[in-house]
Amino acid sequence: MDINSRPVVVKRMPERVNSRTAREFLRDVQPFLHADRPQLVFDLSQVVQLDAAGVEMLLRCMSEAHKRDGDVKLASLSDQSAVVLELTRTERLFEIYETSTDAARSFSGFLPNAMRQQLLHNKRPAAPLAA
Amino acid sequence: MDIRGLLLVNTGNLREEDSAFLVSGPLGLLDIAGKSALERASERLLAYGIAPVTAIVESTAFPLSGGFTLSSGLNCVSSTPERFWRAAENAFNDMAQNGAELVVLVRLGAYAEIDFEKLVQVHLDRGSRVSQVSHDGQKLDIFCISASRRNDAASLFRSQLSRCRSECPQVEYTGNYVNALAVPRDLRQFAIDILTRQTQTCPAGDEAKPGVWMSGKAILEKGARVLAPAYIGADARVRTGAVITRCSSVEHHAEVDCGSVVENSSVLPYCYVGAGLDLAHSVVGMRQVANLRRDVTVEVPDPKLIDLISATSGKNFLHSAADLLTYLPRAAMQGIFSGGKQPQPDLSDALRKSSPALDGAAGYETPACDSDAAQKFPNMIVARRYGHQ
Repeated sequence: MDINSRPVVVKRMPERVNSRTAREFLRDVQPFLHADRPQLVFDLSQVVQLDAAGVEMLLRCMSEAHKRDGDVKLASLSDQSAVVLELTRTERLFEIYETSTDAARSFSGFLPNAMRQQLLHNKRPAAPLAA
Repeated sequence: MDIRGLLLVNTGNLREEDSAFLVSGPLGLLDIAGKSALERASERLLAYGIAPVTAIVESTAFPLSGGFTLSSGLNCVSSTPERFWRAAENAFNDMAQNGAELVVLVRLGAYAEIDFEKLVQVHLDRGSRVSQVSHDGQKLDIFCISASRRNDAASLFRSQLSRCRSECPQVEYTGNYVNALAVPRDLRQFAIDILTRQTQTCPAGDEAKPGVWMSGKAILEKGARVLAPAYIGADARVRTGAVITRCSSVEHHAEVDCGSVVENSSVLPYCYVGAGLDLAHSVVGMRQVANLRRDVTVEVPDPKLIDLISATSGKNFLHSAADLLTYLPRAAMQGIFSGGKQPQPDLSDALRKSSPALDGAAGYETPACDSDAAQKFPNMIVARRYGHQ
């Protein structure tokens, strides 16, 4: 099993997420969403305008990622995006982190037990042979 | 005794960050539970027999065209910001010339339920020229002025109520209720206090059931729920499946669309709250949302979420008719032009391509958004992989 083959992709969202920019953004991230078990982090720190089309795009990304057993997480929410996500009841659907680093790091926290044990096994130094 | 009232409403006491939310003026002019603080203050003066009452309102301060009504007995004079204090002084002089003996001056700002009878009594007992009300050591912009003392009044107006040429003894306010009305949080607290009857002033309209106040023309569609305490203003519409709860107020001509929940929030006049939204701990109006829990005010320019309803029904009718007429052509055009399926870009291409949405700031060239990550992973969008790196 190749446990290093799944990248965490961090994408910064544009300042204004309206129907046009949401479409463009979706087109950008679609290849990542169509990968096996995609892991995406969207950074919303620069978003000053998020409208219904932007929220719909986020939900679509999440839905696509879930279809392939992946996840989309949000990070560094700006005030405007935080208020709009709360208003549209979508903030509870996403995992939201203070920074994109935290969000990216969080993906490793959900490793299946089998993978975790394999990692530990790989890290553990070989036991000294009995004399 | 001839005692008259002078109410001043201007934007001078607003903070810059709040004036963004209140593009239209001070909070004292916004309707809360059916009436503005200006109207409530005027009613209170009239109730103490202080009449007539004149209000000087900064002309940029009207909240909405046609949406601001004055209670009977309140003579309202609008003035430009430059001439506001001059207009106030002139109004005072007119009152003095017309036989007033005392003038009670209230500037909004703060809404306080003052016992004006006591204020006048203390003023007369002390033989003061000007008396000012204070609360917990802080001066409120509420004065009792002897009308014959025009020079004292003039110095007060010319200093924008900051100083008086003669001694200005303070009368300690001992009443129950003071609200600074300086920030949206105060506005929300004012609504809560009115609806929970912490104030002597009460919501406009009738109490339809215990704790639920409604104006006669409010429209509550089938399936909409209003949980006490709450207020629904005149011509406001609460659509099917919407819930209004926890001291929320939906002011006149506002609309809460299907399935939305308004919890501990104030929906200002002529505001539209879109369908299926969750509005909590907020003051919403003029396409802006002041979220009190996050302590931020943001603009929401999407009319599907928050919008400003036109004050005239004719405009609404024309808008709806135009929507109806153009629906089929629009649907046909969308069908024609969005039919083709776009080819999916390759993953490796996408990694190296910059995003048009970010104007070249995204894609492979983009450093990680977070500053820590930017230092660790410059020029990479892959922040980390699984494993022990």
